[in-house]
Amino acid sequence: MYGFEAMTFNIHGGYLEAIVRGHRSGLLTAADYNNLCQCETLEDIKMHLSATEYGPYLQNEPSPLHTTTIVEKCTLKLVDEYKQMLCQATEPLSTFLEYITYGHMIDNVVLIVTGTLHERDVQELLEKCHPLGMFDSIATLAVAQNMKELYRLVLVDTPLAPYFSECITSEDLDDMNIEIMRNTLYKAYLEDFYRFCQKLGGATAEIMSDLLAFEADRRAVNITINSIGTELTRDDRRKLYSSFGLLYPYGHEELAVSEDIDQVRAVMEKYPPYQSIFSKLSYGESQLLDKAFYEEEVKRLCLAFEQQFHYGVFFAYMRLREQEIRNLMWISECVAQNQKSRVHDSVVFIF
Amino acid sequence: MSGQTQRLNVVPTVTVLGVVKARLVGATRGHALLKKKSDALTVQFRQILKKIVSTKESMGEIMKNSSFALTEAKYVAGENIKHSIRENVHSASLKVRSHTENVAGVKLPKFDYFIDGETKNDLTGLARGGQQIQACRAAYVKSIELLVELATLQTSFLTLDDAIKTTNRRVNALENVVKPRLENTISYIKGELDELEREDFFRLKKIQGYKRRELERQRLSAQAYAEEKVAEELSLKKGISLGTAHNMLSQATQKDEDIIF
Repeated sequence: MYGFEAMTFNIHGGYLEAIVRGHRSGLLTAADYNNLCQCETLEDIKMHLSATEYGPYLQNEPSPLHTTTIVEKCTLKLVDEYKQMLCQATEPLSTFLEYITYGHMIDNVVLIVTGTLHERDVQELLEKCHPLGMFDSIATLAVAQNMKELYRLVLVDTPLAPYFSECITSEDLDDMNIEIMRNTLYKAYLEDFYRFCQKLGGATAEIMSDLLAFEADRRAVNITINSIGTELTRDDRRKLYSSFGLLYPYGHEELAVSEDIDQVRAVMEKYPPYQSIFSKLSYGESQLLDKAFYEEEVKRLCLAFEQQFHYGVFFAYMRLREQEIRNLMWISECVAQNQKSRVHDSVVFIF
Repeated sequence: MSGQTQRLNVVPTVTVLGVVKARLVGATRGHALLKKKSDALTVQFRQILKKIVSTKESMGEIMKNSSFALTEAKYVAGENIKHSIRENVHSASLKVRSHTENVAGVKLPKFDYFIDGETKNDLTGLARGGQQIQACRAAYVKSIELLVELATLQTSFLTLDDAIKTTNRRVNALENVVKPRLENTISYIKGELDELEREDFFRLKKIQGYKRRELERQRLSAQAYAEEKVAEELSLKKGISLGTAHNMLSQATQKDEDIIF
């Protein structure tokens, strides 16, 4: 029931909402980013970060420090926080929290499957997986020899099983291009998540629908732009668009037939929220599109914290952390590669 | 060091002289040709050196750009994109071929790259980052181009360096060892021949002298005999034999058995 969450939410979710808001206040601010942008070496970055919440994670790293180490340790912090929250959660919050990580799980599964197809070592592949997306039987993915076995033996027990069965028959699994498979799975996941949020109702449904719709639309635009000029047919393209969001269904129709960026822009400018994004780009330029999308996403995620008593804050927090880790990676790489002038190109300030 | 340029040990005959002279001519011509080859190689060498310097400078720039393109791709597509790309690779699509080029007689290796088979990773980063990934790929292809060129230049540099050293060694050897040796041999042979000629001449002269003396002696003895002969004839006409008179006088000093007292 919308509007009455204030009465019952805190019974089960109050503690964790407080925890998440506490974590949110530990996100790096603009002042921190300015300091980091002024750094000359990775050692300086480490020093600045040790004053923030990342301190304990980076303290014990030996120098010379590498940019991938910084990213790894920050991700580790995120994973620790997530795990803490997950073990304190009850239904339906625990399911919600798990939904947040299915995206990474899909990436990991696809990674291991491709690796196995090309006969790589399982242990190496496991090390390369994203920690948020690990599940118990992930190592057994490498055992299966072809996709049918893969599905039958392993995937059927994972939470990802319904995505595989919904959109792909077992014959398709063998031939389909890995990227198409990844995107089909992701589309199924988004739709599933959307339905789950709708079921939860109330403020969660409203806020999450907005965020997920933005995600779906963003993916649709990216898929369109990136498949211009490749062998992806229009029908395939249409199959990868999710069936919800602002662009559904008319926008998707138009996007499916677009053949270059200017057509895409024409389509998107019909929708006011996206008009502002596309107006920032000059004609023919699409490099800044990704950054514009990230900025818009961060804006919407911050807005999610304005309301209380809903699960959207957890989703928003995870995404904001990931954006912060991306920012840190960008800053460290710029410093390490001596490209300090480009630092401000892509850092998205959260506050 | 004067012991270095000895002469060849040969029999100092005229034919050998002819042979050695021919060798000297050959050595001179070879020396001139090798010098020209060395100069041509040096010119090529300097050109390659200049190109190497400029290529290395631009390589620094380009590698920096490609690493940055990779960072951009990682930013947009997530850090794990590099893993998924790497795992999806079957075999290299950019390969390098080598063939040799002939420069002033030296075989220099040359590398060029070619694209073998199409890249099947066109759809990587479909949902996010596809653009950056393609840009990154283009940047790295340019880096590879430059690296292949640099590899060509550096191997040519080393090969040319080697060839120049060898050629210069040969030029110096011809100039400082072979030709002096041959020249010394020629002068030795000439000297020997002259000496033989002089010996011959001397011998001839000596024999002429002997012959003349012999003739002189014979003439003198013939003259003496002729005089005796004339004297004998005169004495016979007078009834005495000068010869026998001489004999009786000479025999008087000797004991005659017929005479008792």
